[in-house]
Amino acid sequence: MKLLIGQILPYITVTLFTLGILYRLGRWAGARIVHNITLSPWLKSNTEVAIRIGAEAFLFRNLFRFDLALWAGALLMHFALLNILGGHVVGFGFLGEQFAFIPGISPELSKEMSDLLGTVFGILLFVALLYLLYRRVALTPVKQVSNPSDILWLVYLLVLVGVGNIMRLFHAVHVEYEMVRDYILALILFQPVMHMELLDNVFFLTHYLLVQVLLILFPFSKLMHLFGMFAERWIVNRVYKDPAPGLPNVDVAAARRAGIGLPSGGAAEEGV
Amino acid sequence: MPSITVNGVEIELDDDGFIIDPDLWNEDVAKAFAASEGIKELTEDHWKVINYLREYFKQYHIAPMVRKLCKETGCSLKYIYELFPSGPAKGACKLAGLPKPTGCV
Amino acid sequence: MPEYKGMVQPVRATPDEMRKIHIEPVPDEEKPQKALEYLDEIRKKFRSFVLAMESCTKCGQCAENCHTYLGTRDPNNIPTNRAELIRKIYRRYFTLEGRWFGKLVGAEDISLDIIEQWYSYFYQCSQCRRCAHVCPFGIDTCEVTFIGRQILHWLGITPKLHASVGAAMERVGNHTNLPKPGIVDTLEFMTEEIMDEFGVEVEFPVDKPESDIMYIPSSADFLLNPYTLMGAGMFFTYIGANWTIPSTVTEAGNFGLLFDQYYTQRHNVMRLLNAAQDLGVKKIVWGECGHGWRAAKMYIPSLADRPVRWPITHIHDEVADMIRKNELKLDPAKNSQPVTLHDPCNYVRACGLNENMRVIMRACVSDFREMEPHGMDNFCCGGGSGILFDDPEMYQRRIQLSQKKADQVRATGVGKNGDGILCAPCSICKAQLYPMVEEHELGVEVKGLIDLVGKALVWK
Repeated sequence: MKLLIGQILPYITVTLFTLGILYRLGRWAGARIVHNITLSPWLKSNTEVAIRIGAEAFLFRNLFRFDLALWAGALLMHFALLNILGGHVVGFGFLGEQFAFIPGISPELSKEMSDLLGTVFGILLFVALLYLLYRRVALTPVKQVSNPSDILWLVYLLVLVGVGNIMRLFHAVHVEYEMVRDYILALILFQPVMHMELLDNVFFLTHYLLVQVLLILFPFSKLMHLFGMFAERWIVNRVYKDPAPGLPNVDVAAARRAGIGLPSGGAAEEGV
Repeated sequence: MPSITVNGVEIELDDDGFIIDPDLWNEDVAKAFAASEGIKELTEDHWKVINYLREYFKQYHIAPMVRKLCKETGCSLKYIYELFPSGPAKGACKLAGLPKPTGCV
Repeated sequence: MPEYKGMVQPVRATPDEMRKIHIEPVPDEEKPQKALEYLDEIRKKFRSFVLAMESCTKCGQCAENCHTYLGTRDPNNIPTNRAELIRKIYRRYFTLEGRWFGKLVGAEDISLDIIEQWYSYFYQCSQCRRCAHVCPFGIDTCEVTFIGRQILHWLGITPKLHASVGAAMERVGNHTNLPKPGIVDTLEFMTEEIMDEFGVEVEFPVDKPESDIMYIPSSADFLLNPYTLMGAGMFFTYIGANWTIPSTVTEAGNFGLLFDQYYTQRHNVMRLLNAAQDLGVKKIVWGECGHGWRAAKMYIPSLADRPVRWPITHIHDEVADMIRKNELKLDPAKNSQPVTLHDPCNYVRACGLNENMRVIMRACVSDFREMEPHGMDNFCCGGGSGILFDDPEMYQRRIQLSQKKADQVRATGVGKNGDGILCAPCSICKAQLYPMVEEHELGVEVKGLIDLVGKALVWK
């Protein structure tokens, strides 16, 4: 069992995750942007397009404009998630000493900072997920649009994040950064695996397994909205330039001088 | 297919109760429609509107602009709504045996 | 009668009426299978559709931003749920997760009931794109209901209203069955009316060869909106333009956009291009029609079967341009009643007319009050996409769909003294709002924007 989860499954996971996403993106690319369905007011340059898509993707501009509570919850959730994902990479990669690259910060301080940030974002992420779950079950319209899977995903993430938080908060079940780093490195380099004893920690085992299942399901789930955001925005937010106004052979001043339309004036002759 | 029987003749109507073949129209048909529209009695003003619509339709194969109908019959739009509660298009045109107007009307 | 298992539905075209627009209705027992085939074909073509199917997170933001849901509180009228009516089928047949997990991820087998559900709810959607505008991802439910309506059309399910418009477009080139003699007579009447009311001589040239400008009015203007026609005529006369109205395509609208983008919409585009070529015009100027302007401005480039040699602009673009250049003498005092502007959805969210309408408004009226929200954030009139059904059940629904608009208009206070103007420069908006301002007792008169330009022009 440990062998399966610790040494075989990771390769399957990465393969399915990658191929699944490529399959999904390929499907999207196969269909075309048939008609111009850009939303107006128009964006006038590619810089404006980049700013708009950036504001939507990273600041959730529309949620901010139309539903502040949802914006706060969603942004907090995604911001915390982003930090946690980044934290996993640098935390394990540099063993918590990543901040020591900043002049004036000692490796010890960096470790403490790393711990603190990880803890804080872990808790924030958990709270934000709870809020999103609350919306799904308590707000009528959100409840009405939810499928069972929408709620299940939130519960799944809550368990996943909850287990992660437990490892961080309770010293008895804490995992050593160094062991995890060496274990992952060995996996990546296709070397004989080390530190399989990590998986004796039932919390680590659960956390690790849940992450792998999540990655396998990712391409076949709503989590694809990560890519959908950019693909959809690329359709509705693009540069459009209006055709120039101006009517052929029209000279308003001359027409008014000639009194066109006035009963006493001359008849509307061509080109007047 | 809905229909209405007037003087023993069965006349086909569309789903909205408009006559399908305008040539089958006669004054008794208008009276029968009036009953179904909740109009108690067809007064002189009713006939003025109906006859104008029929004349116009005969010539142009379309109902006149509502403003023109008002102007030519001397009836304000409000008065036309009093005469024909469903309005000029859906009430008056129906009684006059015109097809139901389509489009953004 | 227009109800199916408790769902309201518009009156549908008869099989004979469908045949008139080249569709052979599919028998009921074959409908589910055929619907899947059509869906499969179309999903491979439109990326906007695929993304609406595959990347919604169900955050629910669209709900409170849809006038249809606000007016009916029917959960299936929440934009994402409306799309879900097709998404659950899409998942079931075209995604792995739907095949594996079924109901858990909201996948469902196709059935006749589902198709009837599509018919009910896709024709309660105004395709106003407010949901796309507010969606964090920009998912456009309008694309879903366009395609849903297209599939229904191919199955032989089309509202009588839309089908009869489609037949009229093919027969005479406009939505209201206006033949040329009727067009000419009405325009002559307009000439008289302008002389009576404004004391100016305006002629409306029809099919005049070698014209510079081809003006495309909405055919509804010929029946219901006299001041819109008069305003356009007065504007073109005022500026001394060599212009004409084509009798072969006297129609700014294109209902094809709304139920059949393959044949009906394309066919009308060809009529337009033929007319422009025959009359030798240099530019095409569009009249007041929301969906029609979107169909023209955004779809002609991808629908035309030949190079389009004529620039196409909206009459509002041209008027605003002249106002900016100070070429028109306009007197706002001639429109002294309080005015508020209803932004036609297609103008502000699909065609970029937002600012130009306001340039015109400020130049032509003395008491202009914005409604909230306005511009690109404005709500639909409730008739959008031609859901102007008038059977009693659907008419009641139209009143519900216009509730939000009524609240907005009331909040501006323009109708307080019963002399306000609700400017709604689109034929569908006008047709929806004429009865709705009465139903909601708003104390306003519905007018177009060119109507106000015509009135404000100073001729001497």
